Amino acid sequence: MREWLFAALFLAGNALGQQDEKLISGPGSTLTETKCRICHELQHIKRTPLSRGERADNLKNMKERGTPMTDAEQAVILDYLSAYYNREKPAPDPSPDTVASASDDPMEKLLGANGCTACHHVDKKVLGPAFREVAKRYAGQAGAAERLAAKMRAGGQGAWGTVPMPPNAALSEADAKKLAGWVLGLAGN
Amino acid sequence: MSDRSRRDFMKAAAGAGALTLPLTKALAQTEPPNTIPNDVIKGEKAKSMQWHSERPLTGSVPAHEHDFDVTPNDRMFVRNNLTTPVIDINTHRLTLKGLVDKELSLSVFDLAKEFRTVSMQGMLECAGSGRSAYQPRASGTPWLETGGMGCPVWGGVRLADLLKAAGLKPGAAHVAGQGGDPGLVPTAAPVIRSIPMRKAMDEGTLVAWAMNGSPLPWVHGYPLRLVVPGWVGSASTKWLHTLTVLDAPFKGTYMDSSYRVPRHPIEPGTKMPPDAVSAEAWPIKSIITSPAPNAHVKGTGPILVRGRAWVGEGAVERVEISSDEGRTWQRAELAPRPPLHPYAWRTFTYEHRPQRPGYVSFVSRAWDDRGNPQPALPYWNPLGYFWNGWHRVGVVVDA
Repeated sequence: MREWLFAALFLAGNALGQQDEKLISGPGSTLTETKCRICHELQHIKRTPLSRGERADNLKNMKERGTPMTDAEQAVILDYLSAYYNREKPAPDPSPDTVASASDDPMEKLLGANGCTACHHVDKKVLGPAFREVAKRYAGQAGAAERLAAKMRAGGQGAWGTVPMPPNAALSEADAKKLAGWVLGLAGN
Repeated sequence: MSDRSRRDFMKAAAGAGALTLPLTKALAQTEPPNTIPNDVIKGEKAKSMQWHSERPLTGSVPAHEHDFDVTPNDRMFVRNNLTTPVIDINTHRLTLKGLVDKELSLSVFDLAKEFRTVSMQGMLECAGSGRSAYQPRASGTPWLETGGMGCPVWGGVRLADLLKAAGLKPGAAHVAGQGGDPGLVPTAAPVIRSIPMRKAMDEGTLVAWAMNGSPLPWVHGYPLRLVVPGWVGSASTKWLHTLTVLDAPFKGTYMDSSYRVPRHPIEPGTKMPPDAVSAEAWPIKSIITSPAPNAHVKGTGPILVRGRAWVGEGAVERVEISSDEGRTWQRAELAPRPPLHPYAWRTFTYEHRPQRPGYVSFVSRAWDDRGNPQPALPYWNPLGYFWNGWHRVGVVVDA
């Protein structure tokens, strides 16, 4: 694998220092935040409201440049940005992100909010190992939850190959413990 | 460059790469591996640098910090599309391939040994320089009206000499440059831009390894970059590793969806029309670099107004200054065009005697030798490129 691929994992760490940067809450705001901040800050969006037509061109351009998003996700993002960051009409009042809360699972929200799912999936290897594989490796070890929680925050390299996991300093200890507990719980299912 | 200074430079350049690597590793806590952290880059820049975004890193200095005949390295604008890679000059190679008789693979040292080295001052300006002055706002880095440009002295070899050494095959019409800057996702499209052969063979188009007499700073393309002076900055591929000779413009997102302008003026705020063209040479432009905006001047003695003027192709013909908001215009004194540096910006000066204490404003506008004026307001375009409106600076004359 080319070296620049390693950089991919950095995207999870990109949430670091940018936890305070948010878009107006609305249907699709979480997905938009997650996808757009992979490569750039959200201020790029906030300071430049565009017409829907220009925004559609802009999203097409971003997809060409490599944003990992499906056509369905692109459509959600276009609808969201055309509603909340459109220079031709005022933004509606903030509202709950009904797209993100389609799943009410708090753990899914925690995984999404911390960028974990950018590189990990429950059962499949993405850029990082499947959560279930991680659970199996730690199964039965003393202090597994603490070590895994620490690893989530510190990052690492070598245990699963050469692709490094970036540090996630913005992940709180409490949330790391919750996530570690959930991951380890996957070993038995 | 003399043989001796070349040797010294190469030694210094090799040393810079080798010494800085471990340091970079130690600092790179939250950056992608094998890239230079933004903090390191910022540390090498002037305090007056205004940073517009961290990812990708972009920054520039305001007009009065451009008050130099030659832009110093610490004031040169920063515009990355992706990240700033760590590249070892000792192992780096430039490949020239495509429609050529003989493929070339050269180290930076080979380039300096085997080709005639040249040193040339040349203007680089981001296509979006000045974007924030457009209304409505266009998407992209919000460059100040006077940011996103600079004019250092570049050292390297002529791209034309490399192309001649490789030998062009029939049909060779464009040259694409690719650099080694990694993206943040594996799916990131590589930044590849091509220029037509006419510009590739131009004597000002360089494959450069030096900037103002030192190795290229990391963020400006160390160890090797293209310099396509006068054209939009994106043509000047940084961290250059591959040149491909093609029979048509390169097809890719950085050619087909970015760096495009409408062929004819369009209504502000509307979509890019289908017949858009690639953004190439910068139109005529001038900025006032001294005095600084809102500076206080003591007494009604003469005020020296100084600035820089440039054009991507052709030559600056004249610069005019108005001190009454455009009612009357006076010709500024324009430094002669240096014959060996056709793509350098040119300094102009104008002496103004204020009539009384109070507020006085200066507006600059330039013409090129093809009769094109610098407009009061340029036509709007969807990506906010080529801002070259008149530049205005106001100062206060204290009694």
